[in-house]
Amino acid sequence: MNVQYASLLIAIPLITAFFVPLMKGLGEKAIKTYVLIITAIQAGIATWVFEEVYTTGKPIIVMAGGWRPPVGIDLYIGPFAALFVLIVALVSFLMAVFNFRAVKVEPIDKYAMLFLLLMLGATGMIATGDIFNLFVFMEITAITAYALTAYNKTGEAAEASLKYMVLGGIGSSFFLIGVALIYGATGTLNMAQIAQLAGNINPTVAQVALALVIFGLAVEAELFPLNAWAPDAYQAAPHPVTAMFSAFVVKAGIYALARILYLMSAVGTWKNILHLLIAMATLTVIVAEFSALRQRNVKRMIAYSSVSQVGLIGLAFALGTQAGVDAGVFQMINHAIIKVLLFLGVGYVAVQLGGAEIENFRGLGKRMPLTALGVTVGSMSAVGIPLFNIFWSKLRIILATVDAGYAWAAALVLGASVVEAVYYFRLVHAIWFTGEGERLRESAPLVAIMLLLIAIIVAIGIYPNYAWSLSQKAGNDIFNVAQYIKNVPLMGVGA
Amino acid sequence: MVSILKRSLAVIMLLIIGYWLAQGLSGIPFGQDKMLVGKYYLDNVIRQTGAINAVTAVVVNYRGFDTLGEVTVLFIASTGVGALLWAKRRERTAKTEGSIVLKTGIRLLTPFVILFGAYIFIHGHLTPGGGFPGGATIATAFLLLYMAYTMYEIPRRAFENTEGVAGMSYVIVALIGLAIGGYFLFDWIWQTWHFGVNNVGRILSGGFIPVIYTIIGIKVGTELSGIIDNMLREEVRE
Repeated sequence: MNVQYASLLIAIPLITAFFVPLMKGLGEKAIKTYVLIITAIQAGIATWVFEEVYTTGKPIIVMAGGWRPPVGIDLYIGPFAALFVLIVALVSFLMAVFNFRAVKVEPIDKYAMLFLLLMLGATGMIATGDIFNLFVFMEITAITAYALTAYNKTGEAAEASLKYMVLGGIGSSFFLIGVALIYGATGTLNMAQIAQLAGNINPTVAQVALALVIFGLAVEAELFPLNAWAPDAYQAAPHPVTAMFSAFVVKAGIYALARILYLMSAVGTWKNILHLLIAMATLTVIVAEFSALRQRNVKRMIAYSSVSQVGLIGLAFALGTQAGVDAGVFQMINHAIIKVLLFLGVGYVAVQLGGAEIENFRGLGKRMPLTALGVTVGSMSAVGIPLFNIFWSKLRIILATVDAGYAWAAALVLGASVVEAVYYFRLVHAIWFTGEGERLRESAPLVAIMLLLIAIIVAIGIYPNYAWSLSQKAGNDIFNVAQYIKNVPLMGVGA
Repeated sequence: MVSILKRSLAVIMLLIIGYWLAQGLSGIPFGQDKMLVGKYYLDNVIRQTGAINAVTAVVVNYRGFDTLGEVTVLFIASTGVGALLWAKRRERTAKTEGSIVLKTGIRLLTPFVILFGAYIFIHGHLTPGGGFPGGATIATAFLLLYMAYTMYEIPRRAFENTEGVAGMSYVIVALIGLAIGGYFLFDWIWQTWHFGVNNVGRILSGGFIPVIYTIIGIKVGTELSGIIDNMLREEVRE
C-alpha cells in the first residue's frame, strides 16, 4: 500500500470534524457514537502506520502536495511519531467511550468537533517535519484546548481558560519569533535542513532563537515557570479532556521541544540551553510536588502530579545523552498509561459522587471497589513502586541523570518523589481504610478499560523489555539527528 | 512603594530581554538573498502551479498543508465561540434600529459587498487577496445587516452546514489528489489534467488554487458571520 496514505491520519479527523455540523439534530447518543467510531478508525490507521514503520524500520515521509522538502511540507513518521500517533489515537478512543458517561453539558456537537480536532492537533504536532507547520498544529491543539477547558461554562472554567489563553498566546508568539529568527538565519523551515545548517548559524542568534522556541513550547510542555495554567485547566476541563491533556497534549509539547532541541545540537551555545532546561525541569518537579501536597481536590492533586512527572520527562530530555532521551520516551509511554487510568478513575468518581474532593474518596474501596482498584494501582505506579511500570522509567531517568553528571538534579528529583509518595498514600489510605458506604453499580465498559490499563501497567512492570526496546528505537529517532537528516529526501535547494 | 519597586523591576527585565533580543536580531542578515526556498518558488512557480501570484501559489499549493491547518484554526475559533456562548434560547437585544440612511445604504450595498468578496477569492491566483480576505469581506456584509436591522439574523443552520460542507470539500479536494497523484493535497487539476496550461494569467488557470480559494472564501465568510451572530445574541431566561 502506498505509504502516502498515512496522510489519512490528518485527513480523517479533519473531514469528520467538518461533518459534525450536518448531524446536529441526531441527538447526543448518535454524536458520541460517531466520535467513538471515528477514533476507532483513526486507531486502525495508526496501527497500520505503526506496523509499517516498525517492520520496515524506515520512517514514512508524507510529502504534502507531492513537493519534496524543503519546498513542500513533509510529515516525518519515524519510530517516535508512529508510536505516539498510535498512543494518541488509542487514548482518544478510550476517552470517546468515557464521553458517554462524563459529558452531559450541551452543545455536544461542538464538543465532538473540538474533541476530534484536539486529537488531530496532537497527531500533527508529533508527525510534522516542518517547523512552521509545527506552529500551525500547535495553534490547533492550543485553541481547541482553550475552548475545551472552558467547555463546562462554570466560573472556574472560564478563569482557567482565560489564564491558559493568555499564557498560551504569549508562548505561541515567542515560538513564532523564534521560528522567524531560525528562518532568517537559515532560509528554510524544514526541520532536516535546519539541522543540516544549524552549525553555520551565528551562535548568539541560535541561542536567542532556541531560547525563544523553548520558552514558547514550555507553556504547552508545562515547564516551570510557565505552567501556572495547568492545574486550573486540568481541574476545570471535562474529565475525558483532562485525561487527553495529560496523556498526549502535554506530551506533544514536550516532544516538539525535544525535537527542536536536538535538531539544533550542532549549535555552539547548545550546552547553555541544556543547563537552562535542566534548571527549569528540576524546578517543575519540585514546585509541582509540593503544591500537590496541599490539594484537597483529588483531580487537582493528580494534575500537579502530572505536571511534576512531565518535568521529569523534560529533565531526561535535557540531559543531552542517548540514555536520557530513551528514558524520557519510556517515561512518556508509562505516564500516558497511568494518567489515563487515574483521570478516568477520578473522573468517574466525580461523575458518580458529585465531585472530586478527597471526602468523596473515603470508603471508595467499599462503594466502587473496581474503580478504587484502578486509582490505587495508578497511584502506586505513579509513586514508582517496583512491579509497576513507572518504577522502570523513573529508575532509568535517575541513572541517566547521574551518568550525565547531574547528581544534584537526581537527588532533588528523588527527594520530590518522597513527597509524591506522601500524597498518593494519603489518597490510597482514604480509599481503603476510612469511610463506609453502600456498593454502587459500576459501568462495565469503564471497568473493562480500567482493568485493561491495570493489566498493561503490571505487564510493563514485570516485563519491561518490550516497552523499553520500543522506547529505545523511538528515543534514537530523536537523538540521532544525522540519521534524521539522511531519512528526509531533501531537494538540492540552496545549501 | 512596592508598586514602584515592582514597576522598575519590570522595566529592568524588559530592558534586559530587549537587549538580548536585539543581539539576536542583529546577527541575522536581513535584506540579503538568503531565502533558499524563496528563490526556488520564484523560478518555478508558473511552470509548476500555473499561478502568476507567487504568494498564493506558496500559500495554497507548495505549503497548502499549512493553509489547511489555518482553515482548521478558524473553524476551531468559531466552534469554540459557539460552544462557550451556547444557551437554550438566545435573542438579539439591540434596541435602536439603524437610521434611514444606514438602512437604505446597506440594502443597496450588501449584494455588492458580497460580490466584491467573491471577486477577491475567485481571483486569488491572479491578484493580491484570496480566500481569507474574500471571506472576511463577505462577512462584513452580514455585519452591516446586523448593524442596520435590530431583527436581522442569519440563517444559522444553513450557515453552519455550509461551513461544514466547505471544510469537507477542502479535504476531499486534497484526498482526490491522494487518489489521482498519490500525494495528499496534490494539484491534480494542473499537474495531471494540465487544465488551463495555455491560459496562464487568466481566470481559468492556476490548477486547484481557485477551487480551494472559493471553498476557503465560502467557509471563512460563513464562519466569521457565525461568530458575529454568536456574539450579538444574548441568552434569554424563561
